[in-house]
Amino acid sequence: MSDLQHEIKNLIIDALGLEDLTAEDIAADLSLFGEGLGLDSVDALELGLALQKRFGIKIDAEAKDTRTHFANVASLAAFVSAHKAA
Amino acid sequence: MRVQDAQQQPDVGFLPALQRRRLSRLARMTFHVAWPLAEAQPVLPLVFASRHGETPRTLAILSDLARGEPLSPTQFSLSVHNAIIGKWSILRGDTSEMSALAAEGDGLEQAMLEAGMLLGEGAPAVLLVIAEETPPAIYAPSIEDVPFPYAVALLLKPGDEWRLQLRTGQGPTSDWPHPLNLLRALCGEQLFLEHYWKSRRWTWSRNKP
Repeated sequence: MSDLQHEIKNLIIDALGLEDLTAEDIAADLSLFGEGLGLDSVDALELGLALQKRFGIKIDAEAKDTRTHFANVASLAAFVSAHKAA
Repeated sequence: MRVQDAQQQPDVGFLPALQRRRLSRLARMTFHVAWPLAEAQPVLPLVFASRHGETPRTLAILSDLARGEPLSPTQFSLSVHNAIIGKWSILRGDTSEMSALAAEGDGLEQAMLEAGMLLGEGAPAVLLVIAEETPPAIYAPSIEDVPFPYAVALLLKPGDEWRLQLRTGQGPTSDWPHPLNLLRALCGEQLFLEHYWKSRRWTWSRNKP
Protein backbone atom coordinates (compact mmCIF):
# COMPACT_ATOMS: atom_id res chain seq x y z
CA MET A 1 0.00 0.00 0.00
CA SER A 2 1.42 3.37 -0.98
CA ASP A 3 1.87 6.13 1.59
CA LEU A 4 -0.57 8.26 -0.33
CA GLN A 5 -3.26 5.56 -0.21
CA HIS A 6 -2.69 5.20 3.51
CA GLU A 7 -2.97 8.94 3.99
CA ILE A 8 -6.22 9.04 2.01
CA LYS A 9 -7.68 6.20 4.06
CA ASN A 10 -6.95 8.07 7.26
CA LEU A 11 -8.32 11.25 5.75
CA ILE A 12 -11.58 9.43 4.94
CA ILE A 13 -11.81 8.06 8.47
CA ASP A 14 -11.13 11.43 10.11
CA ALA A 15 -13.17 13.64 7.80
CA LEU A 16 -16.22 11.37 7.82
CA GLY A 17 -16.15 10.36 11.47
CA LEU A 18 -15.70 6.63 10.78
CA GLU A 19 -14.34 6.13 14.26
CA ASP A 20 -14.98 2.38 14.31
CA LEU A 21 -12.67 1.79 11.33
CA THR A 22 -8.92 1.74 10.81
CA ALA A 23 -7.01 2.21 7.56
CA GLU A 24 -6.55 -1.57 7.39
CA ASP A 25 -10.34 -2.01 7.11
CA ILE A 26 -10.51 -0.06 3.86
CA ALA A 27 -9.10 -2.00 0.91
CA ALA A 28 -7.74 0.18 -1.88
CA ASP A 29 -10.29 -1.25 -4.32
CA LEU A 30 -13.30 -1.17 -1.96
CA SER A 31 -16.17 0.90 -3.37
CA LEU A 32 -16.58 3.99 -1.22
CA PHE A 33 -20.18 4.76 -2.12
CA GLY A 34 -23.27 2.60 -2.16
CA GLU A 35 -22.27 -1.06 -1.84
CA GLY A 36 -18.90 -1.34 -0.13
CA LEU A 37 -18.10 1.27 2.49
CA GLY A 38 -21.64 2.66 2.20
CA LEU A 39 -20.89 6.38 2.08
CA ASP A 40 -23.54 8.82 0.88
CA SER A 41 -23.74 12.10 -1.01
CA VAL A 42 -23.01 14.29 2.03
CA ASP A 43 -19.88 12.18 2.58
CA ALA A 44 -18.88 12.81 -1.03
CA LEU A 45 -19.06 16.57 -0.47
CA GLU A 46 -17.25 16.33 2.86
CA LEU A 47 -14.52 14.16 1.36
CA GLY A 48 -14.12 16.56 -1.56
CA LEU A 49 -13.65 19.38 0.93
CA ALA A 50 -11.10 17.38 2.95
CA LEU A 51 -9.08 16.57 -0.21
CA GLN A 52 -9.23 20.20 -1.19
CA LYS A 53 -7.90 21.31 2.19
CA ARG A 54 -5.20 18.63 2.44
CA PHE A 55 -3.89 18.56 -1.10
CA GLY A 56 -5.01 21.89 -2.50
CA ILE A 57 -7.03 20.23 -5.25
CA LYS A 58 -10.08 21.96 -6.60
CA ILE A 59 -12.75 19.38 -7.30
CA ASP A 60 -15.54 20.04 -9.74
CA ALA A 61 -18.61 18.25 -8.41
CA GLU A 62 -20.27 18.53 -11.83
CA ALA A 63 -17.40 17.08 -13.89
CA LYS A 64 -18.19 13.62 -15.19
CA ASP A 65 -14.76 12.28 -14.22
CA THR A 66 -15.31 13.11 -10.55
CA ARG A 67 -17.46 10.04 -10.03
CA THR A 68 -14.68 7.85 -11.44
CA HIS A 69 -12.04 9.48 -9.25
CA PHE A 70 -14.14 8.91 -6.13
CA ALA A 71 -14.77 5.22 -6.85
CA ASN A 72 -12.23 3.90 -4.34
CA VAL A 73 -9.02 4.75 -2.50
CA ALA A 74 -6.80 3.61 -5.39
CA SER A 75 -8.56 5.88 -7.89
CA LEU A 76 -8.48 8.80 -5.46
CA ALA A 77 -4.73 8.29 -4.90
CA ALA A 78 -4.16 8.26 -8.65
CA PHE A 79 -6.24 11.43 -9.00
CA VAL A 80 -4.29 13.20 -6.22
CA SER A 81 -0.92 12.08 -7.66
CA ALA A 82 -1.85 13.36 -11.10
CA HIS A 83 -2.70 16.74 -9.61
CA LYS A 84 0.47 16.88 -7.57
CA ALA A 85 2.54 16.15 -10.68
CA ALA A 86 0.70 18.73 -12.76
CA MET B 1 -24.45 28.32 37.65
CA ARG B 2 -22.86 25.82 35.32
CA VAL B 3 -22.01 22.20 35.95
CA GLN B 4 -18.67 20.99 34.66
CA ASP B 5 -19.07 19.17 31.38
CA ALA B 6 -16.84 16.18 30.68
CA GLN B 7 -18.48 15.68 27.26
CA GLN B 8 -19.86 12.24 28.10
CA GLN B 9 -21.91 10.82 25.23
CA PRO B 10 -25.20 9.02 25.74
CA ASP B 11 -25.39 5.53 24.28
CA VAL B 12 -27.11 5.21 20.92
CA GLY B 13 -25.76 1.75 20.14
CA PHE B 14 -29.21 0.77 18.80
CA LEU B 15 -28.43 2.83 15.67
CA PRO B 16 -26.19 1.49 12.87
CA ALA B 17 -22.62 2.83 13.19
CA LEU B 18 -22.74 4.57 9.81
CA GLN B 19 -25.92 6.40 10.86
CA ARG B 20 -24.94 7.52 14.31
CA ARG B 21 -21.46 8.86 13.52
CA ARG B 22 -22.70 12.30 12.48
CA LEU B 23 -25.12 12.80 15.34
CA SER B 24 -24.24 15.59 17.75
CA ARG B 25 -24.58 15.06 21.46
CA LEU B 26 -27.88 16.96 21.35
CA ALA B 27 -29.13 14.47 18.76
CA ARG B 28 -27.74 11.52 20.73
CA MET B 29 -29.47 12.72 23.91
CA THR B 30 -32.72 13.10 22.00
CA PHE B 31 -32.47 9.62 20.49
CA HIS B 32 -31.38 8.10 23.77
CA VAL B 33 -34.43 9.31 25.71
CA ALA B 34 -37.01 9.07 22.92
CA TRP B 35 -36.15 5.75 21.25
CA PRO B 36 -37.41 3.45 24.04
CA LEU B 37 -40.71 5.36 24.20
CA ALA B 38 -41.26 4.93 20.49
CA GLU B 39 -40.55 1.21 20.45
CA ALA B 40 -44.14 0.17 21.09
CA GLN B 41 -45.55 2.76 18.66
CA PRO B 42 -44.77 2.19 15.01
CA VAL B 43 -46.24 5.54 14.00
CA LEU B 44 -45.78 8.49 16.28
CA PRO B 45 -45.96 12.26 15.65
CA LEU B 46 -43.11 14.13 17.29
CA VAL B 47 -42.76 17.61 18.75
CA PHE B 48 -39.14 18.54 19.39
CA ALA B 49 -38.37 21.68 21.37
CA SER B 50 -35.02 23.28 22.01
CA ARG B 51 -34.38 26.92 22.73
CA HIS B 52 -30.75 26.89 21.63
CA GLY B 53 -30.53 23.92 19.28
CA GLU B 54 -27.21 22.97 17.72
CA THR B 55 -25.23 26.03 18.84
CA PRO B 56 -21.87 24.16 18.72
CA ARG B 57 -22.48 23.41 15.03
CA THR B 58 -23.53 26.92 14.11
CA LEU B 59 -20.52 28.30 15.95
CA ALA B 60 -18.22 25.92 14.02
CA ILE B 61 -19.75 27.12 10.74
CA LEU B 62 -19.46 30.78 11.71
CA SER B 63 -15.84 30.22 12.79
CA ASP B 64 -15.00 28.67 9.39
CA LEU B 65 -16.68 31.62 7.69
CA ALA B 66 -14.72 34.10 9.80
CA ARG B 67 -11.47 32.38 8.83
CA GLY B 68 -12.48 32.41 5.18
CA GLU B 69 -12.49 28.60 5.04
CA PRO B 70 -14.95 26.51 3.06
CA LEU B 71 -17.91 25.25 5.06
CA SER B 72 -18.37 21.63 6.04
CA PRO B 73 -21.41 20.20 4.22
CA THR B 74 -22.06 17.88 7.16
CA GLN B 75 -22.07 20.71 9.69
CA PHE B 76 -24.23 22.79 7.41
CA SER B 77 -26.80 20.09 6.69
CA LEU B 78 -27.17 19.20 10.38
CA SER B 79 -27.18 22.72 11.80
CA VAL B 80 -30.78 23.56 10.99
CA HIS B 81 -33.27 23.27 13.81
CA ASN B 82 -35.26 20.44 12.28
CA ALA B 83 -32.21 18.30 11.36
CA ILE B 84 -32.64 16.05 14.38
CA ILE B 85 -36.27 15.26 13.70
CA GLY B 86 -35.39 14.70 10.04
CA LYS B 87 -32.81 12.12 11.11
CA TRP B 88 -35.36 10.64 13.52
CA SER B 89 -37.93 10.31 10.75
CA ILE B 90 -35.43 8.60 8.43
CA LEU B 91 -33.98 6.24 11.02
CA ARG B 92 -37.37 5.19 12.37
CA GLY B 93 -38.97 5.05 8.96
CA ASP B 94 -41.80 7.17 10.35
CA THR B 95 -43.33 9.88 8.18
CA SER B 96 -45.74 11.15 10.82
CA GLU B 97 -46.11 14.88 11.36
CA MET B 98 -43.05 16.21 13.19
CA SER B 99 -42.15 19.72 14.17
CA ALA B 100 -39.18 21.48 15.75
CA LEU B 101 -39.79 24.49 17.98
CA ALA B 102 -37.39 27.06 19.30
CA ALA B 103 -39.29 28.72 22.09
CA GLU B 104 -37.93 30.68 25.01
CA GLY B 105 -38.20 29.81 28.68
CA ASP B 106 -41.57 28.14 28.31
CA GLY B 107 -40.64 25.89 25.40
CA LEU B 108 -41.97 22.89 27.28
CA GLU B 109 -45.46 24.39 27.56
CA GLN B 110 -45.41 25.66 23.96
CA ALA B 111 -44.46 22.15 22.82
CA MET B 112 -47.22 20.71 25.00
CA LEU B 113 -49.70 23.01 23.29
CA GLU B 114 -48.51 21.77 19.90
CA ALA B 115 -48.73 18.16 21.05
CA GLY B 116 -52.18 18.79 22.52
CA MET B 117 -53.39 20.00 19.14
CA LEU B 118 -52.08 16.86 17.46
CA LEU B 119 -53.92 14.75 20.04
CA GLY B 120 -56.99 16.91 19.47
CA GLU B 121 -56.77 16.12 15.77
CA GLY B 122 -56.98 12.45 16.59
CA ALA B 123 -53.40 11.24 17.02
CA PRO B 124 -53.51 8.30 19.47
CA ALA B 125 -50.18 9.35 20.97
CA VAL B 126 -47.59 12.09 20.52
CA LEU B 127 -43.94 12.06 21.44
CA LEU B 128 -42.57 15.27 22.96
CA VAL B 129 -38.85 15.81 23.41
CA ILE B 130 -37.24 18.86 24.93
CA ALA B 131 -33.45 19.00 24.89
CA GLU B 132 -30.65 21.48 25.39
CA GLU B 133 -26.91 21.24 24.83
CA THR B 134 -24.29 23.09 26.87
CA PRO B 135 -23.61 26.24 24.86
CA PRO B 136 -20.07 26.81 23.57
CA ALA B 137 -17.93 28.86 25.99
CA ILE B 138 -18.16 31.97 23.83
CA TYR B 139 -21.95 32.08 24.32
CA ALA B 140 -21.89 31.19 28.01
CA PRO B 141 -22.24 34.78 29.27
CA SER B 142 -25.49 35.15 27.28
CA ILE B 143 -27.08 31.76 27.97
CA GLU B 144 -28.11 31.27 31.55
CA ASP B 145 -30.78 28.62 31.26
CA VAL B 146 -28.61 25.58 30.44
CA PRO B 147 -26.51 24.76 33.53
CA PHE B 148 -25.98 21.26 32.14
CA PRO B 149 -27.10 19.40 29.01
CA TYR B 150 -30.40 17.58 29.37
CA ALA B 151 -33.13 15.85 27.41
CA VAL B 152 -36.62 14.84 28.47
CA ALA B 153 -38.96 12.69 26.40
CA LEU B 154 -42.66 12.34 27.16
CA LEU B 155 -45.08 9.94 25.54
CA LEU B 156 -48.41 11.77 25.62
CA LYS B 157 -51.80 10.16 25.28
CA PRO B 158 -55.28 11.69 25.52
CA GLY B 159 -56.63 11.76 29.04
CA ASP B 160 -57.61 14.02 31.90
CA GLU B 161 -55.05 13.16 34.53
CA TRP B 162 -53.14 16.37 33.94
CA ARG B 163 -54.36 19.80 32.97
CA LEU B 164 -52.30 22.72 31.72
CA GLN B 165 -53.66 26.23 31.94
CA LEU B 166 -52.31 29.53 30.68
CA ARG B 167 -53.08 32.84 32.36
CA THR B 168 -51.44 36.21 32.61
CA GLY B 169 -49.14 36.65 35.55
CA GLN B 170 -45.63 37.25 36.71
CA GLY B 171 -43.61 35.34 39.23
CA PRO B 172 -40.20 33.86 40.02
CA THR B 173 -38.38 31.90 37.33
CA SER B 174 -37.16 28.39 37.92
CA ASP B 175 -33.71 27.80 39.44
CA TRP B 176 -32.96 24.99 37.05
CA PRO B 177 -34.32 23.75 33.71
CA HIS B 178 -38.08 23.74 34.00
CA PRO B 179 -38.65 20.40 32.19
CA LEU B 180 -36.89 18.77 35.14
CA ASN B 181 -39.43 20.32 37.49
CA LEU B 182 -42.17 18.62 35.52
CA LEU B 183 -40.25 15.35 35.64
CA ARG B 184 -40.01 15.66 39.39
CA ALA B 185 -43.73 16.42 39.64
CA LEU B 186 -44.57 13.42 37.45
CA CYS B 187 -42.39 11.07 39.46
CA GLY B 188 -43.62 12.29 42.83
CA GLU B 189 -47.05 12.79 44.24
CA GLN B 190 -47.02 16.46 43.33
CA LEU B 191 -50.45 17.77 42.30
CA PHE B 192 -49.54 21.23 41.19
CA LEU B 193 -46.76 22.99 39.32
CA GLU B 194 -46.45 26.61 38.32
CA HIS B 195 -44.15 28.12 35.75
CA TYR B 196 -43.76 31.79 34.90
CA TRP B 197 -42.18 33.18 31.79
CA LYS B 198 -42.42 36.86 30.92
CA SER B 199 -46.10 37.70 31.36
CA ARG B 200 -47.25 34.10 31.10
CA ARG B 201 -48.29 31.96 34.02
CA TRP B 202 -48.59 28.27 33.24
CA THR B 203 -50.34 26.05 35.75
CA TRP B 204 -50.01 22.29 35.68
CA SER B 205 -52.48 20.44 37.86
CA ARG B 206 -53.07 16.77 38.41
CA ASN B 207 -56.57 15.41 38.88
CA LYS B 208 -56.75 13.12 41.85
CA PRO B 209 -57.95 9.70 40.71
